[in-house]
Amino acid sequence: MLPAMLPAMLQFLLHGLTVLLLPPLIPGLIAKTKALMAGRQGPPVLQLYYDLAKLARKQAVFSRTTTWVFLAGPVGGVAAGLVASCLVPFGHTPAPVSFQGDVILFAYLFGLARFLTILSALDTGSSFEGMGAAREATFSALAEPALFLGFAALAKANGSLSLGTMLAFPGSLTTRFTGPLILILAGWVIVYLAENSRIPVDDPNTHLELTMIHEVMVLDHSGRPLALVLYGASLKLLVLGALILTPALPRAPHAWQNWLAFYAALGGLAVGVGVVESSMARFRMTKVPQFLVAGVLATAFAFLLMLV
Amino acid sequence: MLDVALVLASSGCWFAGALASASPRAPERLATGLGLLGSLFALGAALHLLLGGAVSGLDFRVWGLPARLELDALSAAFLLPLHLVGGLGLIYGQRYWPVQLAWGSGRSLRFFYGLLVAAMTLLFLARHGLVFLVAWELMAVSAFFLVGTEHEKPEVRRASWVYLACTHTGTLLLTAMVILMAQRMGGLQWTALPASTSPWFEGGILFLALAGFGFKAGVLPLHFWLPSAHASAPSHVSAILSAVMLKTGIYGILRVSSLLPGIPRGVGGTLLALGALTALYGVGNALAQRDYKRLLAYSSIENLGIIAMGVGLGWTGRATHDPWLMALGFGGAIFHVWNHALFKSLLFYGAGALLHATGTRDMEALGGLARRMPRTALVVFPAVLAVAALPPFNAFLSEWFLYRGLFASLGRGYPWSAALGLVALALAGGLAAVAFARFFGTLFLGAPRSELADHAHDPAASMLLPMAVLAGLCLAVGLGAFLLLPLLDRVIAAAAPGTPALLAAGLRVDFHRLAGVELGLLALVGAGLAWLRRSPEAPEADLPTWDCGYAAAVARAQYTGSSFADAWAPVQPGLRARRPRLRGLFPGGASFRQAFREPFGEVFLEPRVVRVAERLLRFRRFQQGHLPVYLLYVLLTLLGTFLWMLLRGRLLG
Repeated sequence: MLPAMLPAMLQFLLHGLTVLLLPPLIPGLIAKTKALMAGRQGPPVLQLYYDLAKLARKQAVFSRTTTWVFLAGPVGGVAAGLVASCLVPFGHTPAPVSFQGDVILFAYLFGLARFLTILSALDTGSSFEGMGAAREATFSALAEPALFLGFAALAKANGSLSLGTMLAFPGSLTTRFTGPLILILAGWVIVYLAENSRIPVDDPNTHLELTMIHEVMVLDHSGRPLALVLYGASLKLLVLGALILTPALPRAPHAWQNWLAFYAALGGLAVGVGVVESSMARFRMTKVPQFLVAGVLATAFAFLLMLV
Repeated sequence: MLDVALVLASSGCWFAGALASASPRAPERLATGLGLLGSLFALGAALHLLLGGAVSGLDFRVWGLPARLELDALSAAFLLPLHLVGGLGLIYGQRYWPVQLAWGSGRSLRFFYGLLVAAMTLLFLARHGLVFLVAWELMAVSAFFLVGTEHEKPEVRRASWVYLACTHTGTLLLTAMVILMAQRMGGLQWTALPASTSPWFEGGILFLALAGFGFKAGVLPLHFWLPSAHASAPSHVSAILSAVMLKTGIYGILRVSSLLPGIPRGVGGTLLALGALTALYGVGNALAQRDYKRLLAYSSIENLGIIAMGVGLGWTGRATHDPWLMALGFGGAIFHVWNHALFKSLLFYGAGALLHATGTRDMEALGGLARRMPRTALVVFPAVLAVAALPPFNAFLSEWFLYRGLFASLGRGYPWSAALGLVALALAGGLAAVAFARFFGTLFLGAPRSELADHAHDPAASMLLPMAVLAGLCLAVGLGAFLLLPLLDRVIAAAAPGTPALLAAGLRVDFHRLAGVELGLLALVGAGLAWLRRSPEAPEADLPTWDCGYAAAVARAQYTGSSFADAWAPVQPGLRARRPRLRGLFPGGASFRQAFREPFGEVFLEPRVVRVAERLLRFRRFQQGHLPVYLLYVLLTLLGTFLWMLLRGRLLG
């Protein structure tokens, strides 16, 4: 009994370790890529680990207008991200928890994280944070249908409502689903950039609060709450990245090959995001909804192709 | 037998309580006690039935004709929220609307509140056309008086009259439906029709039921009475109107359709599409509201749309003999009826607490209440998460049901209605999150925007207690939903006779895992909060928000609720803005004005109704107010009838 379960246990352990330890590496990779593209040395790849360790030892400062809601954002964001990471398969290794309909829970967990972040931004009473919250609410409500239409198309393709089955669909690259799959992935890349506040939707390194979306919402966080915010953001990069990468990865016969492929693909994704960030500017704020609607349209077309 | 007698006794208790509260000599405690006793009776009976008791009925005679009261699982499913919210509202109302008010509306409010609950209890038992209509009318009229409690205000009078006109139009349609049903069933007693003999007749019954009950359920385009009626009523009345009275429309649709032999295939898809549109329309307009009670009312329209989607999905399953689709559709609808009753009454109680503390319904005048009313903020928070359908709260699960049903119907060849439903449900969820982030953020967070909010304080314990109970139930249902699956199976079997019990067997494992994941989420939240609590000691300091370096931030500079939702102006059809035109390099002063008018009721319907009413003034000259003239009318009518009787045979051959 036990020896039979050992490989699965090891997989889960690896899954958990990946979720806990790997995320801060991704922003580091992105930053390094951007620096190299710009001909700079750049911060070390492990910079976020150092930042987190330092923040965890720092005192937090709270404004007099804030309440407990101010902490709900950072904590809820990390908790929802960690729970969502249990539902998504990393490459072709199965997710630790899966059941019919877990895809809906997955989407709504990110909704919960976003909702709490918006509330904790509004809790400061700052006009800048309110502005960021309004933008985040608007853009994410546009990104949500793209995510759902992609799920609908995948569900229609393989008749399952479980992320594990939907994403790790065998032969998805060779059958007539190739076209729709490419459209879904294109739409989801847009969602990925928007949800993780990357260029061209949002610039994480911008210096003017008026042009920020996500960064302006966490201006007042400091110390451990800020550490949670930063960790949550990198966790989102990992979990949503797994969502995009899994359908695109070929299935390997051995588990270790699958893991290796996944890590390699994740590194590639980070480098890709870095390249996108280096090669284009952020859109004007009025253009962002059009960009997101393009994502919705791509997934909607994929869905229509699945229906007919 | 015992169950139905208990529920009947509960109705009697509420009625007696209503009478007691009308008399100035009886103490208030007596009326409250009677009402609570009635609620306990009904809750006990309904739970007993849902947990496996047998259907119990009571036969009697009305004017020599047989009539029947019956308690089955469908009735019990609606009695549960009615008596929960009814009883809690009674406790809440004690301090919210004291009896000793200057203008003496306290007594009439209590009287009609009791009458409303008694009438709705009777309504859910009735299996006889006449009894049903009498209970329906009693409910409608007592709700009219409840909405008009503050009748010294013109807008309240207006709202209650619009409500009365709408509910009576609905009753008219329902009367026609009852007559048609009597024709087919051979009597006013409601029995299941065995086989379809005349599709036109059954189609007529179904259409009249949809239109008549649709008025009550606020399905587009019959919703327009709802927002102002809910905003005008006292908050615990709004709670019961929204949590239960709107659902009597859903109950009626389910009850009548369960008696019909079949539902045509297209009707389910149409209702699904209509529900999807209603949901989007409701949430779009909820985004535009400055009045927080009106916002809640529009969100009720959204949720009723979601429930209608479930019913439509169930009907699609019934038309195509697909038990799994039926289970998910009806199950989702009933489950959402329960969940909406829990979180919406909690939200209305919270709104009442705010109104009580600040005296204004204008969101933009408030803010920062989480510091001033911490307990209220804490108990309202779960409802805000629930209404946005976020895990781990209850409404997430009923929407999860619907998603599963829609995905299932996608796989079974009804792609278009399912696709529309999926997109609508996802978008409505996203927009509801925006609307309620705005609701909570503008009211409770930030700094107070006016003096009114600055001096607010938590309400009395008797108002907080019902809210705390509901908040606990929101979380408990979210985590323990797998216990409710067998109950839902029984309700579905009553709503669509002959459906096998599928949910308990089919979803148990999924719900167990779901509950496990949600518990994990709560545990992680707890761990995170504990970690933050143990962070390095910070010096106690009274520091302002950083605000990008502005030293003296003023509360007026905060983002307002309207600007928070401004990006969604295209989906807020009722919002009219007058934007200033700025020309040249140095424009002068300018002002911006924004107003909301209900797009269907006020913009489209009202001018037309006014025009028709003006035309109808012509008939005024028939109303002379002299007795002889009316006697002449009676005589002419009689003569006309006689002539018709005489000539009928000859004219019609």
